[in-house]
Amino acid sequence: MSAATETPGTSAPLPAAAPRRGRTPPVLSRGWPLLGHLQELRRRPIELFARARRECGEIAELNFAGNRVVLLSGEEAQEAFFRGSDEQLDQAAAYPFMSPIFGRGVLFDATPEQRKQGLRNQSLRDSFMRGHAEVIAAETRGMMEKLGDAGEIDLLDFFSELTIYTSSACLIGKEFRQELSPEYFRVFYELEKGTDAIAYVNPHLPLPAFRQRDRARRRLVGLLSGVFARRAAQPSGKRELFDVLLSLKLPDGSPRFTIDHVTGMFISMMFAGHHTTSGTAAWTLIELLRHPEFATRVVGELDSLYADGRDVSYQALREIPELEGAIKEALRLHPPLILLMRKVMFDFHYKDWTVPAGKLVAVSPAISNRLPECFPEPDRYDPDRYREGREEDAKLFAWIPFGAGRHRCVGAAFAMMQLKAIFSTLLREYEFELSQPADSYRNDHSKMVVQLAKPCRARYRRRAP
Amino acid sequence: MKIRVDTDLCQGHAVCAEEAPSVFAVDSVSHKVVVRVERPDESLRADVKRAVKFCPTRALRLEED
Repeated sequence: MSAATETPGTSAPLPAAAPRRGRTPPVLSRGWPLLGHLQELRRRPIELFARARRECGEIAELNFAGNRVVLLSGEEAQEAFFRGSDEQLDQAAAYPFMSPIFGRGVLFDATPEQRKQGLRNQSLRDSFMRGHAEVIAAETRGMMEKLGDAGEIDLLDFFSELTIYTSSACLIGKEFRQELSPEYFRVFYELEKGTDAIAYVNPHLPLPAFRQRDRARRRLVGLLSGVFARRAAQPSGKRELFDVLLSLKLPDGSPRFTIDHVTGMFISMMFAGHHTTSGTAAWTLIELLRHPEFATRVVGELDSLYADGRDVSYQALREIPELEGAIKEALRLHPPLILLMRKVMFDFHYKDWTVPAGKLVAVSPAISNRLPECFPEPDRYDPDRYREGREEDAKLFAWIPFGAGRHRCVGAAFAMMQLKAIFSTLLREYEFELSQPADSYRNDHSKMVVQLAKPCRARYRRRAP
Repeated sequence: MKIRVDTDLCQGHAVCAEEAPSVFAVDSVSHKVVVRVERPDESLRADVKRAVKFCPTRALRLEED
């Protein structure tokens, strides 16, 4: 691995007397007038990125309705992207489809320094993990109580509902979690569906997906207003994060934050960990059911690990190699985010290319996770890739379901623990089978937030004692 | 043994500081790891290896002299 100072794009600025201006990255073919490659992005995004790498190589310029996006692919080019400084490569300006969801003054409206402080969520610290594992196991048992002895579930609905409860209980507060009903995961689903890439033209076009998004957000403001009105009567000892935020006053006595603002904070805290974890849980299960020999190994491992009678809050923090391999392989093949973007604030250099300020640079985990030079037989499901001796996830700038570098997902460790706690609880109690043909399960890529496409059903049966 | 840190990768999760508190700390301003002893004593090898292994961002490396 090269040191930061040796990497083009992050090197110290050259003396002013010798401005560098390299080649312009090649432009990908078949762009439409005005829209460029936007329609291809909205229909077959992964094929679009693969075509860019095939036709142009490690650097290729795409056009999303006038937004020039330079896609960097391959381990070396991706390392240059991930080592870029915040000053040079800005995250906030790159995701126009998120602003109407978070709302004004939240996350992507704040300065980089404010974001740094705001995102340092204390609840993600290692010392809190054991308590979280206990909460997640309890929430999973709560969902299982509704299952009975046998039946069928929709994987998207089941894991979306479960992760709304686990995320809110761990990241916001247990009291607050008790206020949530299944309606929340349905509202969240509408918000997630509101991330159509047509937002690159304008995020407020009068389209059904955007109208639904805005209606869902208003509904969420309404739901949360009810929650806070009820909680205002609580004794102060039971106050949690949002109760405190809402009670803050400006010097003139008016509230520091409005309900709309706090709703935006709620969405921003929940968003990163919701569809990502929910989708990964579903894909971990689907892939295990497609490959029964690995399912047998995972269930066997859990049975023997838990034979000592210790509970999930203890075990989920330990190594569970077979299960971890299955989760990592689901993440590699079905990364929840398929495009990571930054806005170039001053000229970005990679080898002898220059990406000028104002354009975007991007990396695709969906392409990277299947680079044949990093992952032998990249399309093959093989959880043994992560065993000692192979450790293919140690390729920090190639195995990137969580991104890499300074903006690597801060919730990665929490997410892994959460998935281990969920499956430790679920797979010791129930056995599953696919209700549909094994190859009919797929992701819906029509929105920037990737979701499992419906139908995505599975049958379950309580295991014999 | 010698400890190498890639500070571009460190996010201050402080797992290392829990595994080997005499070797690692997290700076309260920069939220980045501080290596207190670059060449720790052999008796700390097991702790340091765990710190390297469980670092959530794999920002640590152990080199042999």
